[in-house]
Amino acid sequence: MTDGADESNTSWFQVGARPGGVRVRLGSDAAGLLRALMEQLLDLVGDAPDDASGLAAFGIAESAERPDDPALARLFPDGYRDDDAAADEFRRFTELGLRDAKRETARAVLDVLDTADDELTAELDEAGAVGWMRAVNDVRLVIGTRLDIDEDGDNRPDLDPADPRAALYAFYDWLTAFQSALVYALE
Amino acid sequence: MSSAPAPVELERPDLGEAADTDRPWLTLVWNDPINTMDYVTYVFQRVFGYAKPKAEKLMLDVHRKGRAVVANGGREEMERHVEVLHSYGLWATVKRDD
Repeated sequence: MTDGADESNTSWFQVGARPGGVRVRLGSDAAGLLRALMEQLLDLVGDAPDDASGLAAFGIAESAERPDDPALARLFPDGYRDDDAAADEFRRFTELGLRDAKRETARAVLDVLDTADDELTAELDEAGAVGWMRAVNDVRLVIGTRLDIDEDGDNRPDLDPADPRAALYAFYDWLTAFQSALVYALE
Repeated sequence: MSSAPAPVELERPDLGEAADTDRPWLTLVWNDPINTMDYVTYVFQRVFGYAKPKAEKLMLDVHRKGRAVVANGGREEMERHVEVLHSYGLWATVKRDD
Protein backbone atom coordinates (compact mmCIF):
# COMPACT_ATOMS: atom_id res chain seq x y z
CA MET A 1 0.00 0.00 0.00
CA THR A 2 1.19 3.48 -0.76
CA ASP A 3 0.20 6.75 0.78
CA GLY A 4 1.24 10.29 0.09
CA ALA A 5 4.05 8.99 -2.06
CA ASP A 6 4.64 11.98 -4.29
CA GLU A 7 8.40 11.91 -3.98
CA SER A 8 8.80 15.42 -5.33
CA ASN A 9 7.27 16.47 -2.01
CA THR A 10 9.75 15.74 0.78
CA SER A 11 6.95 15.18 3.30
CA TRP A 12 5.92 12.00 1.43
CA PHE A 13 5.56 8.70 3.23
CA GLN A 14 4.94 5.09 2.27
CA VAL A 15 3.72 2.36 4.58
CA GLY A 16 3.44 -1.20 3.30
CA ALA A 17 2.65 -4.53 4.88
CA ARG A 18 5.43 -7.12 4.91
CA PRO A 19 5.55 -10.56 6.56
CA GLY A 20 5.53 -10.02 10.32
CA GLY A 21 5.32 -6.26 10.24
CA VAL A 22 5.45 -3.16 8.10
CA ARG A 23 7.92 -1.25 5.99
CA VAL A 24 7.93 2.51 6.50
CA ARG A 25 9.53 5.00 4.15
CA LEU A 26 9.65 8.69 4.97
CA GLY A 27 10.82 11.64 2.93
CA SER A 28 13.40 13.88 4.54
CA ASP A 29 10.92 16.51 5.72
CA ALA A 30 8.54 13.87 7.06
CA ALA A 31 11.37 12.22 9.02
CA GLY A 32 12.43 15.60 10.39
CA LEU A 33 8.87 16.50 11.33
CA LEU A 34 8.33 13.20 13.10
CA ARG A 35 11.60 13.61 14.98
CA ALA A 36 10.72 17.12 16.14
CA LEU A 37 7.25 16.06 17.24
CA MET A 38 8.53 13.03 19.18
CA GLU A 39 11.09 15.21 20.95
CA GLN A 40 8.34 17.65 21.92
CA LEU A 41 6.21 14.78 23.16
CA LEU A 42 9.10 13.61 25.36
CA ASP A 43 9.50 17.14 26.73
CA LEU A 44 5.81 17.30 27.54
CA VAL A 45 5.64 13.88 29.20
CA GLY A 46 8.68 14.80 31.28
CA ASP A 47 11.41 12.75 32.93
CA ALA A 48 10.95 9.84 35.26
CA PRO A 49 11.22 10.75 38.96
CA ASP A 50 14.87 11.02 40.08
CA ASP A 51 14.17 9.21 43.26
CA ALA A 52 13.05 5.77 42.16
CA SER A 53 13.14 4.43 45.68
CA GLY A 54 10.21 3.30 47.74
CA LEU A 55 6.90 3.00 46.00
CA ALA A 56 8.11 4.76 42.84
CA ALA A 57 10.44 1.80 42.21
CA PHE A 58 7.25 -0.20 41.73
CA GLY A 59 5.61 2.42 39.53
CA ILE A 60 3.40 3.68 42.35
CA ALA A 61 3.33 7.38 43.22
CA GLU A 62 3.04 8.76 46.74
CA SER A 63 0.25 10.91 45.44
CA ALA A 64 -1.13 11.85 42.04
CA GLU A 65 -3.31 14.62 40.75
CA ARG A 66 -4.92 15.15 37.40
CA PRO A 67 -2.50 17.27 35.31
CA ASP A 68 -3.53 20.92 34.88
CA ASP A 69 -2.34 20.97 31.27
CA PRO A 70 -5.29 19.76 29.16
CA ALA A 71 -2.98 17.92 26.76
CA LEU A 72 -1.34 15.99 29.62
CA ALA A 73 -4.76 15.35 31.12
CA ARG A 74 -5.76 13.86 27.76
CA LEU A 75 -2.65 11.62 27.65
CA PHE A 76 -3.28 10.55 31.26
CA PRO A 77 -7.05 10.65 31.73
CA ASP A 78 -8.99 9.73 34.85
CA GLY A 79 -9.66 6.01 35.18
CA TYR A 80 -12.98 6.64 36.97
CA ARG A 81 -15.46 9.23 35.89
CA ASP A 82 -17.77 9.77 38.88
CA ASP A 83 -15.53 8.71 41.75
CA ASP A 84 -12.70 11.14 42.51
CA ALA A 85 -11.15 8.98 45.22
CA ALA A 86 -11.03 5.93 42.95
CA ALA A 87 -9.71 8.09 40.09
CA ASP A 88 -6.89 9.41 42.31
CA GLU A 89 -5.99 5.94 43.49
CA PHE A 90 -6.02 4.58 39.93
CA ARG A 91 -3.74 7.42 38.84
CA ARG A 92 -1.39 6.79 41.78
CA PHE A 93 -0.95 3.20 40.65
CA THR A 94 -0.83 3.70 36.88
CA GLU A 95 0.42 7.12 35.81
CA LEU A 96 4.15 6.58 36.40
CA GLY A 97 4.02 3.39 34.36
CA LEU A 98 2.00 5.04 31.59
CA ARG A 99 4.49 7.90 31.43
CA ASP A 100 7.31 5.35 31.14
CA ALA A 101 5.45 3.54 28.37
CA LYS A 102 4.81 6.75 26.42
CA ARG A 103 8.46 7.79 26.75
CA GLU A 104 9.58 4.36 25.55
CA THR A 105 7.39 4.36 22.46
CA ALA A 106 8.48 7.90 21.51
CA ARG A 107 12.15 7.02 22.07
CA ALA A 108 11.79 3.87 20.00
CA VAL A 109 10.55 5.99 17.07
CA LEU A 110 13.50 8.35 17.53
CA ASP A 111 15.92 5.39 17.60
CA VAL A 112 14.65 4.25 14.21
CA LEU A 113 14.76 7.80 12.83
CA ASP A 114 18.37 8.02 14.01
CA THR A 115 19.35 5.24 11.61
CA ALA A 116 19.03 7.64 8.66
CA ASP A 117 20.22 11.18 8.02
CA ASP A 118 17.79 12.08 5.31
CA GLU A 119 15.12 9.80 3.86
CA LEU A 120 14.27 6.81 5.98
CA THR A 121 13.46 3.23 5.08
CA ALA A 122 12.70 1.07 8.11
CA GLU A 123 11.43 -2.46 8.58
CA LEU A 124 9.33 -2.65 11.73
CA ASP A 125 8.09 -5.85 13.31
CA GLU A 126 4.48 -5.89 14.45
CA ALA A 127 5.22 -4.72 18.00
CA GLY A 128 7.45 -1.97 16.64
CA ALA A 129 4.77 -0.80 14.24
CA VAL A 130 2.17 -0.78 17.01
CA GLY A 131 4.57 1.34 19.05
CA TRP A 132 4.84 3.83 16.18
CA MET A 133 1.06 3.90 15.92
CA ARG A 134 0.74 4.64 19.63
CA ALA A 135 3.44 7.31 19.67
CA VAL A 136 1.94 9.00 16.60
CA ASN A 137 -1.44 8.90 18.30
CA ASP A 138 -0.01 10.47 21.46
CA VAL A 139 1.21 13.41 19.38
CA ARG A 140 -2.20 13.62 17.68
CA LEU A 141 -3.87 13.73 21.11
CA VAL A 142 -1.62 16.59 22.19
CA ILE A 143 -2.02 18.65 19.01
CA GLY A 144 -5.73 17.87 18.75
CA THR A 145 -6.27 19.01 22.33
CA ARG A 146 -4.26 22.19 21.75
CA LEU A 147 -6.31 22.95 18.63
CA ASP A 148 -9.59 21.98 20.29
CA ILE A 149 -10.31 19.67 17.34
CA ASP A 150 -13.96 18.71 17.08
CA GLU A 151 -15.52 15.61 15.64
CA ASP A 152 -16.36 16.85 12.18
CA GLY A 153 -13.64 19.41 11.74
CA ASP A 154 -16.33 22.09 11.66
CA ASN A 155 -14.56 24.43 14.03
CA ARG A 156 -11.43 24.84 11.94
CA PRO A 157 -10.76 28.53 11.69
CA ASP A 158 -9.88 30.08 8.35
CA LEU A 159 -6.28 30.77 9.18
CA ASP A 160 -3.66 32.95 7.61
CA PRO A 161 -0.84 30.63 6.46
CA ALA A 162 1.50 32.58 8.75
CA ASP A 163 -0.59 31.71 11.79
CA PRO A 164 1.30 29.09 13.84
CA ARG A 165 -1.93 27.12 14.17
CA ALA A 166 -1.98 26.59 10.40
CA ALA A 167 1.21 24.53 10.74
CA LEU A 168 -0.26 22.57 13.65
CA TYR A 169 -3.32 21.67 11.57
CA ALA A 170 -1.03 20.53 8.77
CA PHE A 171 1.02 18.38 11.19
CA TYR A 172 -2.16 16.94 12.65
CA ASP A 173 -3.51 15.98 9.24
CA TRP A 174 -0.19 14.46 8.22
CA LEU A 175 -0.06 12.38 11.43
CA THR A 176 -3.65 11.24 10.91
CA ALA A 177 -2.89 10.06 7.36
CA PHE A 178 0.35 8.38 8.48
CA GLN A 179 -1.31 6.63 11.41
CA SER A 180 -4.15 5.47 9.19
CA ALA A 181 -1.61 3.93 6.81
CA LEU A 182 0.04 2.10 9.73
CA VAL A 183 -3.32 0.74 10.90
CA TYR A 184 -4.17 -0.40 7.36
CA ALA A 185 -0.79 -2.11 6.93
CA LEU A 186 -1.09 -3.88 10.30
CA GLU A 187 -4.54 -5.20 9.46
CA MET B 1 -14.13 10.02 16.75
CA SER B 2 -13.23 11.63 13.53
CA SER B 3 -14.76 10.13 10.46
CA ALA B 4 -12.67 7.69 8.51
CA PRO B 5 -13.75 5.22 5.83
CA ALA B 6 -17.02 3.61 6.87
CA PRO B 7 -16.77 0.05 8.14
CA VAL B 8 -18.58 -2.50 6.04
CA GLU B 9 -19.62 -5.67 7.79
CA LEU B 10 -21.48 -5.84 11.08
CA GLU B 11 -22.45 -8.74 13.27
CA ARG B 12 -25.02 -9.04 15.98
CA PRO B 13 -23.56 -7.89 19.28
CA ASP B 14 -22.61 -10.55 21.78
CA LEU B 15 -24.99 -9.79 24.63
CA GLY B 16 -24.16 -12.90 26.64
CA GLU B 17 -21.22 -11.38 28.49
CA ALA B 18 -22.92 -8.12 29.41
CA ALA B 19 -25.82 -9.99 31.01
CA ASP B 20 -23.55 -11.96 33.32
CA THR B 21 -24.21 -10.73 36.86
CA ASP B 22 -21.08 -12.40 38.21
CA ARG B 23 -19.03 -9.86 36.31
CA PRO B 24 -19.97 -6.66 38.12
CA TRP B 25 -17.35 -4.19 36.83
CA LEU B 26 -17.26 -2.60 33.39
CA THR B 27 -14.67 -1.10 31.11
CA LEU B 28 -16.20 1.86 29.29
CA VAL B 29 -14.76 3.67 26.30
CA TRP B 30 -15.95 7.22 25.64
CA ASN B 31 -16.23 9.00 22.33
CA ASP B 32 -13.59 11.59 21.63
CA PRO B 33 -13.00 13.78 18.59
CA ILE B 34 -9.35 12.83 18.00
CA ASN B 35 -9.06 9.04 17.88
CA THR B 36 -10.05 7.79 14.45
CA MET B 37 -12.59 5.06 13.81
CA ASP B 38 -10.07 2.73 12.17
CA TYR B 39 -7.59 3.17 15.02
CA VAL B 40 -10.19 2.48 17.72
CA THR B 41 -11.36 -0.62 15.84
CA TYR B 42 -7.78 -1.85 15.59
CA VAL B 43 -7.14 -1.26 19.31
CA PHE B 44 -10.25 -3.24 20.31
CA GLN B 45 -9.05 -6.15 18.18
CA ARG B 46 -5.53 -6.03 19.53
CA VAL B 47 -6.27 -5.43 23.23
CA PHE B 48 -9.27 -7.74 23.61
CA GLY B 49 -8.68 -10.18 20.78
CA TYR B 50 -12.11 -9.36 19.36
CA ALA B 51 -12.85 -10.28 15.76
CA LYS B 52 -13.07 -7.26 13.48
CA PRO B 53 -16.91 -7.27 13.21
CA LYS B 54 -17.27 -7.14 17.00
CA ALA B 55 -14.56 -4.49 17.29
CA GLU B 56 -16.32 -2.39 14.63
CA LYS B 57 -19.68 -2.79 16.36
CA LEU B 58 -18.21 -1.55 19.64
CA MET B 59 -16.40 1.30 17.88
CA LEU B 60 -19.67 2.39 16.25
CA ASP B 61 -21.45 2.23 19.62
CA VAL B 62 -18.79 4.54 21.04
CA HIS B 63 -19.08 6.84 18.05
CA ARG B 64 -22.90 7.02 17.92
CA LYS B 65 -23.93 6.62 21.56
CA GLY B 66 -21.01 8.44 23.11
CA ARG B 67 -19.71 5.42 24.99
CA ALA B 68 -19.73 1.63 25.01
CA VAL B 69 -19.03 -1.19 27.44
CA VAL B 70 -16.09 -3.01 25.88
CA ALA B 71 -15.43 -5.56 28.65
CA ASN B 72 -16.80 -6.70 31.98
CA GLY B 73 -15.42 -8.75 34.84
CA GLY B 74 -13.55 -8.26 38.09
CA ARG B 75 -12.46 -4.81 39.16
CA GLU B 76 -8.71 -5.42 38.93
CA GLU B 77 -9.06 -6.91 35.48
CA MET B 78 -11.09 -3.88 34.33
CA GLU B 79 -8.47 -1.53 35.78
CA ARG B 80 -5.79 -3.36 33.83
CA HIS B 81 -7.85 -2.98 30.64
CA VAL B 82 -8.30 0.73 31.27
CA GLU B 83 -4.57 1.17 31.87
CA VAL B 84 -3.80 -0.59 28.58
CA LEU B 85 -6.42 1.46 26.73
CA HIS B 86 -4.89 4.64 28.16
CA SER B 87 -1.52 3.50 26.82
CA TYR B 88 -3.18 3.49 23.38
CA GLY B 89 -4.67 6.92 24.01
CA LEU B 90 -8.30 5.83 24.27
CA TRP B 91 -10.53 7.57 26.78
CA ALA B 92 -11.51 4.63 29.01
CA THR B 93 -12.92 4.36 32.54
CA VAL B 94 -13.86 1.69 35.06
CA LYS B 95 -17.40 1.58 36.41
CA ARG B 96 -19.36 -0.71 38.66
CA ASP B 97 -22.22 -2.33 36.77
CA ASP B 98 -25.53 -0.99 38.10
